[in-house]
Amino acid sequence: MDSLITAAALALAAGDPLGALDRVALREDAPALALRGIAMAQLGDFDRAKLLLRRAARAFSPKEAVARARCVVAEAEIALVSRDLGWPAKALDAARTTLEKHGDRLNAAHAGHLKVRRLLLIGRLDEAEHVLAGLDPTPLPPAARAAHELAVAGIAMRRLRTRPARAALEWARNAARQAGIPGLMAEVATASLALETPAARLITQGTERPLLLEEVEALQASPALVVDAFRYTVRAGDRTVSLASRPVLFALARALAEAWPGDVSREDLVARAFGGKHADESHRARLRVEIGRLRAELAALADISATKRGFTLAPRQARAVMVLARPIEERHAAVLALLADGESWSSSALALALGTGQRSVQRALEPLAEAGKVQSFGHGRARRWMTPPVAGFTTTLLLPAPLPSS
Amino acid sequence: MKHSPAEILREYGPFPGVERIHGVSFDGENVWFASGDRLNAFDPQSGQALRSIDVAAHAGTAFDGRHFFQLANDRIQKIDPDTGAVLATIPAPGGGRDSGLTWAEGTLWVGQYRERKIHQIDPETGKILRTVESSRFVTGVTWVDGELWHGTWEGDESDLRRVDPKTGKLLERLDLPAGMTVSGLESDGGDRLYCGSTSTPVVRAVRRPK
Repeated sequence: MDSLITAAALALAAGDPLGALDRVALREDAPALALRGIAMAQLGDFDRAKLLLRRAARAFSPKEAVARARCVVAEAEIALVSRDLGWPAKALDAARTTLEKHGDRLNAAHAGHLKVRRLLLIGRLDEAEHVLAGLDPTPLPPAARAAHELAVAGIAMRRLRTRPARAALEWARNAARQAGIPGLMAEVATASLALETPAARLITQGTERPLLLEEVEALQASPALVVDAFRYTVRAGDRTVSLASRPVLFALARALAEAWPGDVSREDLVARAFGGKHADESHRARLRVEIGRLRAELAALADISATKRGFTLAPRQARAVMVLARPIEERHAAVLALLADGESWSSSALALALGTGQRSVQRALEPLAEAGKVQSFGHGRARRWMTPPVAGFTTTLLLPAPLPSS
Repeated sequence: MKHSPAEILREYGPFPGVERIHGVSFDGENVWFASGDRLNAFDPQSGQALRSIDVAAHAGTAFDGRHFFQLANDRIQKIDPDTGAVLATIPAPGGGRDSGLTWAEGTLWVGQYRERKIHQIDPETGKILRTVESSRFVTGVTWVDGELWHGTWEGDESDLRRVDPKTGKLLERLDLPAGMTVSGLESDGGDRLYCGSTSTPVVRAVRRPK
């Protein structure tokens, strides 16, 4: 490393990106471009940062594989933070392998954590868990350790394992405090909030109440018949029937469960399942067919009997019937659920995460924006969406160290 | 050209509070090294850390028998070893792209890292007197017994090489094991070459072949 690169890297490490830029502002050689890229990223100018890092990666010679790989990792992190989830995951994998091969364990681990966070965001939990299991957190410095534990907590929460989630968050809190990075501490605090905020609603016998994640977890062990509006399943004990691909049957099951032990009129069932205002003869005929199908699906768990005005649910073993619903239900709830992470998303990233087309995401975003439930900034491909009220876009960048480290 | 693996005699460090070594020098008794925001001395016999001077120290270090010369930002500082005061500064020939630094016979020799050059300069004005080209990135530079040695670090490979000071022709090469970096080089006037490392914060003593 030369004198000014060292001076600039020291300034960056000391949290002075402007001081770093000052020293290498006019330089176009590879290490200077990389440092400028990282400094711009720290200053929040992601577009320029990405360009600089890409130019740096090209400017390093093929022999300087480690330096190139670090640029790729930095670019991947910026892509992740700006929710550019279409960014080539393969390039990150290759960079990670290079760093591992050359003994840059810290940056290799950083690349691994970026991969985990991306998989988490697009809901590929199994893969995220698998990659995370291959990363040993013990030798990591505090900031990297905090990122690791946040990922562990993220997976545990989505898996409804609150105890390990709490433990990981405690580790993350300590590590973030040790690292002394305010953004990171705030991120841990936000993640912890998810455990104290209602994660679901429980509807039973005509009443409803909010549930914390912990209580949702406890419900998994409950002997009740649970109609689960998160996974579109009906379960009792260890038997689960999935109605995920049969929305009409699920709507009927849910209407019956909400009314239990009472019954539901044919009109109401028609309205809930088919969206029809009046139940005419053809609706009634269709209702009979669908109830027949639902009865067959739920045979092992419950019976559905006809009453004078409609139908009622009769669980076989379970003593109670409950409905587990999202905390807020409205159209496009899935889009809102993703945006609720407080990050800014591109519509293509939302489409990727939801496994749907970009068009249908855009159709969902427009009415949500009109209702003031989401807001966008930027234009064209750079347009990003987020839920208001969020103060800034504070996702902590823990960019790779520009200098080799022990 | 003679070519052999470097014989590493000893490793010094890591030293408390030192993350990387950016330059190495020898004052006749002790080894000094630059670690970013200070110059540090240790006793090469015992390996014991001695004192340090708080001064910007971003790359090569040299000693002329009375003063230290230290690359910092895009300048070369002349430093009083007793008080740590910066007595004078001259512009570095590479404008901050400089790495190694050594003193020889009244002039300074400065490595220009990625430009693969070594400049001989006037220590009063910084004027370039002569330039030698190398074939690899230049880190440390040192003179001993009329021999010009420099360290290289390019990609994943580092070595110490003796070059013809007039033509830059490669005369001898000592390879360091893969993954070991060389930043900073200084001879003790005898058969030892001290070189700094950035991948781990240590100073290594390498045998200078006869």
